[in-house]
Amino acid sequence: MISEQRYWNPMLETLPLEKLRALQLKKFKVIFRWAYENSRFHRSLYAEAGITPSDVQKFEDICQVPKVEKSMMRCIQCKDPFPYGDCLCLPLEEVSNFRQTSGTTGQPVYQADSWQDWEWWAESWAFILWAQGYRPCDRVFIPFGYNIFVAFWAGHYAAEKIGCEVVPGGVLDTQARILKIQELRPSAMMGTPTYMLGMADTARNKLGIAPEGLGIKRITCAGEPGASIPATKRRMEEAWNAKVFDHAGATEIGAWSYECLDQPGGIHVNEALFLVEIEDIETGQIIDEPGRRGKMVITAFDRMAMPCVRFDSKDVIEWDERPCTCGRTFRLIKGGVVGRADDITKVKGVLLAPSAIEEVVRGQRGLGSEYEVVVDKAGDIDRIVLKVELSPGNESILKRIEAELQYQLRLKTNLGYVIEFHEFGTLPRYEVKARRFKDLRKHC
Amino acid sequence: MISQSDIERIDEQIQLLKQAALALSDMAVEFPAIKRNAVRILSSVKMMEINVSDVVRLSEQA
Repeated sequence: MISEQRYWNPMLETLPLEKLRALQLKKFKVIFRWAYENSRFHRSLYAEAGITPSDVQKFEDICQVPKVEKSMMRCIQCKDPFPYGDCLCLPLEEVSNFRQTSGTTGQPVYQADSWQDWEWWAESWAFILWAQGYRPCDRVFIPFGYNIFVAFWAGHYAAEKIGCEVVPGGVLDTQARILKIQELRPSAMMGTPTYMLGMADTARNKLGIAPEGLGIKRITCAGEPGASIPATKRRMEEAWNAKVFDHAGATEIGAWSYECLDQPGGIHVNEALFLVEIEDIETGQIIDEPGRRGKMVITAFDRMAMPCVRFDSKDVIEWDERPCTCGRTFRLIKGGVVGRADDITKVKGVLLAPSAIEEVVRGQRGLGSEYEVVVDKAGDIDRIVLKVELSPGNESILKRIEAELQYQLRLKTNLGYVIEFHEFGTLPRYEVKARRFKDLRKHC
Repeated sequence: MISQSDIERIDEQIQLLKQAALALSDMAVEFPAIKRNAVRILSSVKMMEINVSDVVRLSEQA
């Protein structure tokens, strides 16, 4: 009977909006005060801005609280006490988990969690997995390196919490993982979109195994926006004959969002555990209305060892105007995370989001799933080189593919590209976070 | 659908569980096996508070 329940928490996930906002305000006050009273870093940040916990009385006051940037975390972690710097709110002996960020944008940030925080991580992932149809009868295979990055660790613990049977596919190479899937017939799997596509490719082309026949029914993706990019989602769903779900989270934040079974073309913010604000990238104004993109500023209400209070995530998102058909009152982020404010760059005066290129490349028949984008300069003019792989057997229609690609890219991004075709299997493959976008203009 | 009175009864039980775990923790200063398991129970209790009690007690002062 419990497995028939649609919601992990039938009360929180359907809370009327007014009550949800009241809960968020109350919880924001609590975590803000906690950070203020227990973290020297936060205390000095707030003192410099002249703000104290008693200054936050209503929802509109929240945006007065200074944001925390990743660069600040890096800066304080260069100093004692090692390794977390002045932002630890609990004695070191209460820290039970160390993780670090991937370092994609610079020096990794070290993240401390208490056991309670770790329970909270699993709890937030339990919302995700339940909403995506995971139930105690599922056997879940997790093909990830179980390393220093948080990645799917909490997904593992949440699947256990839900009651699933979890198969940790840790120190196995891709082929061994596929053979283990073939042997154990798990019903669900978690991974980055890049790795899910790469695994399917390896199964088919190196092992001669059809991935769509392996019995995987659902896949939960994280780490990259791909599962919310329709063409990438479609490729994964076709490759595995499975439903593919997106989820967005981060080491310094937590697992803040999830796509539900209704797949409305967006991800729900878990508004019982997080406060998401969207800030206009140019003006810094808070955007409440749907349809305008901005960067996410986020607060995790219940993370205690290293609080996340108004963290400037730089994820570019927008509110969806539609309520979800699933009945959750948690708001939707339209199309998931579309990029990072750092990555969305102007090329020839046009704003370019790498996710738009991915949508075109992976929507094009005859191409492999891998690609790379390099922006540089030809003289004084910006140039975008798009490297793609031609799938075997499509050599005779290369010119047609190139023309279609150019047309779709112009349509979707308003820009022209130099397209380089590479031999299938020669572009870099990634297991965790892919780095496909390179802007070399500052080196030119 | 769970009724408001059911939710309130769940919250009462959560608070009883919390009191019991806190009492165990206090009693176990020289008993690591109990102390550390009480810490874990209290973490799980906190998750139940997040799921239920924080809403039930919404009108209480932050």
